[in-house]
Amino acid sequence: MNLLFKKIQPLLSTNEKNISKWAGYFGLGIGIFILLISLQTFINISKLLSENNERKSGYDFVSLSKNITNENMGKDNTFNEQDVDHLKNQTTIEDVSPLISNQFRVRATAGDVLPFSTDLFLESLSNNFLDTLPPSFSWQPGQQVVPIIFSSDFLEMYNVFAPAQGLPQLSPQTISLVNITLECSGPSGMQMYKGNIVALSDRINSILVPHTFMNYNNWFFTKDTSLHAARVFIKTKDANNPSLLKYLDKNDYHINKDKIRFGRIKSILQGVLSGMGILGLLVVVLALMLFAFYLQLMIARSKDNLRLLVTLGYSPNWLSKQVTKKWILVYGYIILLAVIVTQVFNYFFASLSISQKNGLPVLLHWSVLLLAFILFILSILMNYRLVKKELVEMKL
Amino acid sequence: MVISLDGVVPQYIDSKKIPASQVWGKKLEIKKGEHTHIVAPSGTGKSSIIHFIYGLRKDFDGEISYDKNNISKLSPDEFAEYRQQKISIVFQDLRLFENQTALQNIEIKRALAPYHTSEAILAMASRLGIADKLNQMCSSCSYGEKQRIAIIRAMMQPFDFLLLDEPYSHLDENNRKKAMELIYEECGKRGAAMVFADLKPLELLSGEKILLL
Repeated sequence: MNLLFKKIQPLLSTNEKNISKWAGYFGLGIGIFILLISLQTFINISKLLSENNERKSGYDFVSLSKNITNENMGKDNTFNEQDVDHLKNQTTIEDVSPLISNQFRVRATAGDVLPFSTDLFLESLSNNFLDTLPPSFSWQPGQQVVPIIFSSDFLEMYNVFAPAQGLPQLSPQTISLVNITLECSGPSGMQMYKGNIVALSDRINSILVPHTFMNYNNWFFTKDTSLHAARVFIKTKDANNPSLLKYLDKNDYHINKDKIRFGRIKSILQGVLSGMGILGLLVVVLALMLFAFYLQLMIARSKDNLRLLVTLGYSPNWLSKQVTKKWILVYGYIILLAVIVTQVFNYFFASLSISQKNGLPVLLHWSVLLLAFILFILSILMNYRLVKKELVEMKL
Repeated sequence: MVISLDGVVPQYIDSKKIPASQVWGKKLEIKKGEHTHIVAPSGTGKSSIIHFIYGLRKDFDGEISYDKNNISKLSPDEFAEYRQQKISIVFQDLRLFENQTALQNIEIKRALAPYHTSEAILAMASRLGIADKLNQMCSSCSYGEKQRIAIIRAMMQPFDFLLLDEPYSHLDENNRKKAMELIYEECGKRGAAMVFADLKPLELLSGEKILLL
């Protein structure tokens, strides 16, 4: 049927001043915009946070220690093997590694370049928990050189105080050149080693040595092989998991809140953006309902004309399609406008310095465009079904 | 195409009237090319039989078929196809869009399945004396003018059957004759059947098949 809808369009009562129609247009546009911007912002924030936090292969690594209070002060507040096994049995915890500290005295000097000497604490941790693991980070008994992984925070702290002490400031590259002499002593005597910083760690605030070095020297100096770890590191899918936090609180374990700060921000943002998304969805549903009322009104007003058109030989199916088609462009324009406004907002978001630093794309994420397309198809389908239902109910 | 009526009786009719009727409760076949006149006084069901055949009303017993297809089983879209290509109608109550011009009313029908060009509309309107009314709103036309608009509208499509329900009731003798000639001419072009319902047999129709309702 090569028919011009134009010919019958005047027969469909469309009062151009109808407020519900314009309110519908506006509401639909706003609702879709809120939905799209929520999704895009969620994607942007997730990207920004994932680049800032220290997730390694999708896991959070956080350190635990026992809370020191006035009551338990002076008692043994270290983690023993039982504590570690108990932690390992938690479903929310993927893996556990105790930070084993030295049971012997360590004194470090840096020779002539850095004229200082200090008592040191050393710790060792399972290699699986290290964010930077150079191949040289290993030690065998008899080896003179001990590889060390140094906390980036410690280096930063050192650089703050070094000038006041007349010491040179060090870059992450030059620190590996510093020759450190480690003087280890205990009841069994004294051992001298050469320390060499092989990597810096953002994740672990400590001075790490290989596990083998720590075990060997703890045994050598104290002959005590039992576990006394002041801290343990846990590997978990989500450090913000409420059941994990509840378990830690119950056992009076202290978690480094700073390390899960991004996770907390993310979960709050996720909540806020989900709320925004739901609000957007509600507005879209309300706007579509308003449209539905408007369409019903239009069809009811045009009932006599539609009935006569069918009497003359117009197919009800064809009429439904034509009435629906009339709205495809309208929906298309509204959704396109919402996409453009979302794109403009995203452009400004991506222009912020923090976004630029993290290379946030200026263009909308493909899932936002897909969502807009799905909303377009849904709107048209809903319209078609509604018009057809109305026409069928009229029993033309 | 053949239209068959098999025992068609309106559900509202007094059963005593059925045996005397040449239509109600009888078996009839209307073939392409035939002219059938259904004659009856007011209120005896002339419009009803036209509406039953056209598929507008279903309050009857019996069966009406288009080419052996029972019309009670036709879908709205199948009806639309018949109404575009096979069956045209002039209603007694005309059924025009009052807020459209005469020309727009005719064009709405022509757009469905154009049998004539738009120039033919002007020629027909001139023949029936309403050429100057084509751009006038229907609501401001007289009933006689509207009847002629409805007749021209019915001629715009291809058809095998033309159903006419008192199409000349408000036309004077001269205009009735002109309209009749146009209808005969158009039916002749298509080899179409004509089912004509009126109060009494017209002189113009003498010699054709007449059924008393």
